[in-house]
Amino acid sequence: MNLKRLLGIDNLSAQYAYSADPEFGYMASGKIPDHWVRTTCGYCSVGCGMRIGVKDGVAIAVRGDENHPVNKGRLCPKGLSEHYMLRAKDRALHPILRGKRVGWDQAIDTLVTQFTRIQETYGKQALGIVSTGQLVTEEFYTLGKLAQVGFGTSNYCGNTTLCMASAVAGYKRTFGSDGPPGAYEDLEKADVIFLIGANIAENHPLLVPRLNPKATLIVADPRVSKTAMMADIHLPLKPRSDIALLNGIAHILIETGMYDAAYVEAHTEGFEDLRRFVAKYTPEFVASLTGLSVERIVQVASLYGRAESAFIGWTMGVNHSTQGAETVNAINNLALLTGKIGKPGSSPFSITGQCNAMGTREAGGTSSLPGYRKFESAEDRADLARLWNIDVEELPTKRGLAYPDIIEAAAEGKIKALWIIATNPMVSYPNVAMVEKAFANVEFLVVQDGFHPTPTTERAHLVLPAAIWGEKDGTYTNSERRCSRANKAVEPPGEARTDFDIFIGVAKRLGCYDRLFRNWTVPRHAFEEWRFVSKGRLCDYSGMTYELLDEHGGLQWPFPEGAKPGVKRLYEDGKFEHPNGKAKLYAIECQPFPDQPNEEFPFVFNTGRTVEHWHTRTKTGNVPILERLSPHAWLEMNPVDATRLGVNAHDRVDIVSRRNRVNGVVVRLTEIVAPGQLFMPFHYAEHNSNLVTQDAFDPISREPNYKQCAVRVEPTVKTVGVKK
Amino acid sequence: MALPLHARALEGDGIFCRVGGDPGTFTPARKRTAPPERRIPERAPAAGEQYRFHFDMTRCIGCHCCEVACNEQNNNPPHLQWRKVGELEGGIYPDAQRFFLSMGCNHCVEPSCLKGCPVDAYRKDPVSGLVLHNADACIGCQYCTWNCQYGVPQYNNDRGVVGKCDMCHGRLSAGLDPACVNACPSGAIQVELVNIAEWSANFGEANAPGMPPAHVSISTTRITQPEMPLMRTDEPRVGREHPHTPLIVMTVLMQLAVGMIATSLLMAEPKWTATVAFGVMQIALAASTLHLGRPIHAIRALRMWKRSWLSREVLLFTLFAGATSAYVGTLWLGSPLATPAGIAAAVLGVAGTVASSCIYLVPARPAWNMVHTTVSFLLTAAVLGPWFSGQFYPVALAAAAAQLANELVKYARLSRSNEIEHNSSARLLAGPLFVLRLVLLLIPTPLTALAAEFLGRYLFFVTVVPRNVASTYFSVKEAA
Repeated sequence: MNLKRLLGIDNLSAQYAYSADPEFGYMASGKIPDHWVRTTCGYCSVGCGMRIGVKDGVAIAVRGDENHPVNKGRLCPKGLSEHYMLRAKDRALHPILRGKRVGWDQAIDTLVTQFTRIQETYGKQALGIVSTGQLVTEEFYTLGKLAQVGFGTSNYCGNTTLCMASAVAGYKRTFGSDGPPGAYEDLEKADVIFLIGANIAENHPLLVPRLNPKATLIVADPRVSKTAMMADIHLPLKPRSDIALLNGIAHILIETGMYDAAYVEAHTEGFEDLRRFVAKYTPEFVASLTGLSVERIVQVASLYGRAESAFIGWTMGVNHSTQGAETVNAINNLALLTGKIGKPGSSPFSITGQCNAMGTREAGGTSSLPGYRKFESAEDRADLARLWNIDVEELPTKRGLAYPDIIEAAAEGKIKALWIIATNPMVSYPNVAMVEKAFANVEFLVVQDGFHPTPTTERAHLVLPAAIWGEKDGTYTNSERRCSRANKAVEPPGEARTDFDIFIGVAKRLGCYDRLFRNWTVPRHAFEEWRFVSKGRLCDYSGMTYELLDEHGGLQWPFPEGAKPGVKRLYEDGKFEHPNGKAKLYAIECQPFPDQPNEEFPFVFNTGRTVEHWHTRTKTGNVPILERLSPHAWLEMNPVDATRLGVNAHDRVDIVSRRNRVNGVVVRLTEIVAPGQLFMPFHYAEHNSNLVTQDAFDPISREPNYKQCAVRVEPTVKTVGVKK
Repeated sequence: MALPLHARALEGDGIFCRVGGDPGTFTPARKRTAPPERRIPERAPAAGEQYRFHFDMTRCIGCHCCEVACNEQNNNPPHLQWRKVGELEGGIYPDAQRFFLSMGCNHCVEPSCLKGCPVDAYRKDPVSGLVLHNADACIGCQYCTWNCQYGVPQYNNDRGVVGKCDMCHGRLSAGLDPACVNACPSGAIQVELVNIAEWSANFGEANAPGMPPAHVSISTTRITQPEMPLMRTDEPRVGREHPHTPLIVMTVLMQLAVGMIATSLLMAEPKWTATVAFGVMQIALAASTLHLGRPIHAIRALRMWKRSWLSREVLLFTLFAGATSAYVGTLWLGSPLATPAGIAAAVLGVAGTVASSCIYLVPARPAWNMVHTTVSFLLTAAVLGPWFSGQFYPVALAAAAAQLANELVKYARLSRSNEIEHNSSARLLAGPLFVLRLVLLLIPTPLTALAAEFLGRYLFFVTVVPRNVASTYFSVKEAA
């Protein structure tokens, strides 16, 4: 502070002046940029359009894009402050090899040398690659080719397995292909909106204004989430009893004739098996499993069954389960029984997590080959090999290890090198001890991230600094299959490079550039090839160009050449992607979750998000206003339990599971959690809920069962009612 | 892909996991009507009208967009928030609800911030009715931050001045909605026109759970609230306020000087006592300017003596300083004018001390707004004056006993009060420092008496619990 300021001659009035921005009007002069860059938000998969204000090469402001069809100018608190993360103090600036700063040439040379040495010694599959949902589609497409063909390892997956794998697997089993069938417009048109394990008010706030105000909103959630608080009918069901509820609804729909027999006959298979199976899921039985009343179960079934149009949305409450994929099948059953799919207002719909999880599902070659081509299909492999001009033998005939299996294989010493891209398993993986073991056992660990240090980059032998949202070009595809442009507004900091440039650099050093990526210099080259590769597939991008995307604020696939912009739904004709064109109905048993409470671990522990933060906070932890609004983790506990344990508001407690413990978490007493249940946000590395969560996985989707585990609570620090 | 799934644990009926029944109500606690198309009035206020906020608790989903948008609009650092979102909860699981209070400035009909301001930095705009603050006139005395019971004006330490929500009047006058209004996904914040006279006669909709009583300043914000009873979530935790060290030094030393001047009038040889008092007073005056964000403009504080107790204090202590100078000068010159000058100084000093105490008698700070404040300030002079004059020790001891009684009565009243801010102050006060303060009062030496008064004044500042809008369970409170 200078003397003029100390004396008060200067009160920084220039810094706090106001003037009019030509586009957004009167605002603090310091926030008025030289120009605004149109782009798409890089946090969640709602896919909001936004503008980044750039002054002197620095991003100084963000505003919602009023012309964008998704968000119509509004953003959530993370979006409104997104520019701060570009200037974060924790950005990765230089390649770091074993603690020492090195040049890019040495970094890439070391990566390729180490990976090829390990692959030559232990076999191609000894390299595991774990990517993300945060890159642009162009980068996913490039990485998929580089991993599967360039490095020749199919042990390549993404953190999307921690997130949407159950939806992917569920869609594939029911419909024959991945791909959320509906559109956000369905939220505006539905008569009944049924949200299961989806707290959109917290996690996808910009979907809330899209809800049809006249619709009956039903929310199934064991916790009175912000979304449950908005519901017309909240179903506070027991943790993991959602399958029973869904089966019970199916039972009532069938018994009372509220199902669409003609649709079922024409477009589905497995009805008789399902009918026989759900006969035992009587309302009384379902009531005993869920804790809901018979009347309420019947009412919800009737509302859904009788509605002209009905939308079922879900997120992690469904996916984060050892029965995640099956729960998705049970949801899809309801839509198929009533024919409530492929029509305005009617869809089963997974509300995706990451900004471009969809991009990697479609183009990344992890859970399927690009364009939803099946690994197992000789026809699909031959098709892709022809398009890529490679030998068909170079394509894997089955999917490689999924993310958790890569980690377990590394822990067991079967995978010897790991390349982790834009994800932070040291915070996000369930039962983190397993990741520690995996990292300790690999011979070479590369972590490519926009931020350093993170708990994961700190373990890396080689850290590659990457550009992030706002620093690179490409496209993101959102939950409703809308592909929107992500545009570069500013230069990456330090020596950070775009992931695209890193992959291309690796390909060149590896010697596969000319064969796989000939003449590629910018992401647009990848997009052009991806358009071509997706042609004729369900996720058809072939009619999209960057220019059309800019013009329309994104376009929904399928968008073949010559397609008209507008709302697109899948399966409007009732023709599904299974070979016989029919969708499958599944008989799904409701099983108890694996980590059951007992006297030693009496609580059911549930984790989730808060609106102010994103994932493991590598980004939002660097945004001061978000840190101020939500500075630390907490544990929600019902006052009934607190009284029993002698715990007061703001006391600190340890949370202990059969695996590990989280120490010193501040207690929040609230009636929004049930007695016997606990809730904790998972964002905070400092108090990491994933020390205690269970590494149990869905046998179908391989998604972790984050949502329910048994814990006990040990009070440690008592507050005396006075904040220190 | 048959990979090992962790063995399923016991089946059971989940006796450890009790769940509630069905929610008792079919009526949603929140509105899901479409967000209003237009969020600001079609026209400017007519005569007798002003702008005001309408906050609809039944629309708010607690996304905190308004807070972030406000800081972006005004380029404020994160620790300053002209709009804040607090929480309220009600009901029993699963019929539980959490509601939010998003509050900026209430643009009161009778703004407390404006009334107390010593430099006339505030104005209630005659056309819009908005309460606007002028950072160039402000000297950073922060008196408005004590006066406003909503915590609206906030001191910006970087600038040395206060700032506050102005309803984005620059946007409003250009036909644009304020940043918070614009950012709200559900249209929970709107700007409306209100007839000032009608509202002043009936402002019931300004009151809500978690809001201080609206009658103090006639807040204009209209709050739509749900029918269920709601509780604050921030009450278990009470924070200490800022100690305002320059003010501790200033008030105690000024009262010491006043006490010495008064004592000196009874002394045969007052010369040295008066001279020391003069020196102490100089230190006190110097300390007072250190409290200001813009000390160079301290003189402006005289301006609003007709309205502001702060101006009156400054005026009276300035006159006290003048009279004391004259008193000391005449004493050294042996002039017969010394006695009248001394009497004048003592009267002005006592008046200044009373004015000084009146600064703290504000409804927004209930533990200050008690007669004990004035009594305590005067007794500080009475305790310290004789001790540091070296005579009339029984007076000092009697005053100390009175001070002790004053403290105990105040504590008893605070702890038995129905007002939450009083109780909370009592909770903060109860502790070893308070006991030490009382013990020090009982020890008959000048230095322990001085220590007792400094400690007492420190506790006075840090244990006051201001009224405020409900904050969140984890809110980081900023000392005012």
